[in-house]
Amino acid sequence: MSRSDVLSLYRRVLRIARSWTAQSALPHDTDNERKYIAQEARTLFRQNQQITDPESIKRCTEECEARIEIGLHYRNPYPRPTYLPPMGLATQKGRKLRAQQRLRKQAKPVYLLSHDET
Amino acid sequence: MGSRALAYCVRSVARAAARLNHGSVLTRSACAPLASEQRPLSVLSCSQRTRWTQPVRISGPSVQQCRHYGDLPPLTLENIEERVMYVLKLYDKISPEKLQTSSHFMKDLGLDSLDQVEIIMAMEDEFGFEIPDAEAEKLMTPAEIVQFISDKKDVYE
Repeated sequence: MSRSDVLSLYRRVLRIARSWTAQSALPHDTDNERKYIAQEARTLFRQNQQITDPESIKRCTEECEARIEIGLHYRNPYPRPTYLPPMGLATQKGRKLRAQQRLRKQAKPVYLLSHDET
Repeated sequence: MGSRALAYCVRSVARAAARLNHGSVLTRSACAPLASEQRPLSVLSCSQRTRWTQPVRISGPSVQQCRHYGDLPPLTLENIEERVMYVLKLYDKISPEKLQTSSHFMKDLGLDSLDQVEIIMAMEDEFGFEIPDAEAEKLMTPAEIVQFISDKKDVYE
């Protein structure tokens, strides 16, 4: 994963933002979504600019590509949160909080890594 | 910009018309009612059976001779450089005072590679054609951008 690959990814996202049309095809929505895509790309890329660990870089690029493909497929650029009930991953044996938190973090899909769970 | 091109065309037509317009009575009478600048060119061939060799035109100072068909005026080096510097001045991370044609984005202006990608995208938007990734990474000063665009658009120096 080299610098030029990351920059190509950034350029790809910005090109998608340039020619995006919303699902509803309203000019207002199209405009908003274009701005959202460009702004989201800018903030996330800058936020992760200083990462040097190749493993994390790979995860971030996977997140980026997954979000691109999901966004293009569903014609919706916003992140696609999944629902997991509070004790969804609990077994009869391990119901402690720390274990649950660890499991939930592991079960989070790759395209939601930068999206905070509220 | 369009009016400048039109004025240039009208001037060139007036020069050409002065050469062609000798002794053609019909054309002189026909050009009198013409007042607007938007009249297209037309060739009067029906009434000119005797003078078939020479195409007669409705001439006069107010005829639009060359047709652009919605094309832009031709690019010149100064024009390209002007537009490139204008786009760069609009970018908020560059201070207009420090900007010169030879200022390097990373060394002189303190930008990073993500900013350089954004700048090249802005240039693509301005000039209307896509710049491939491999060459876009190498453009690091405004002078190089101007050189690249003039190479792509065949603007001779």
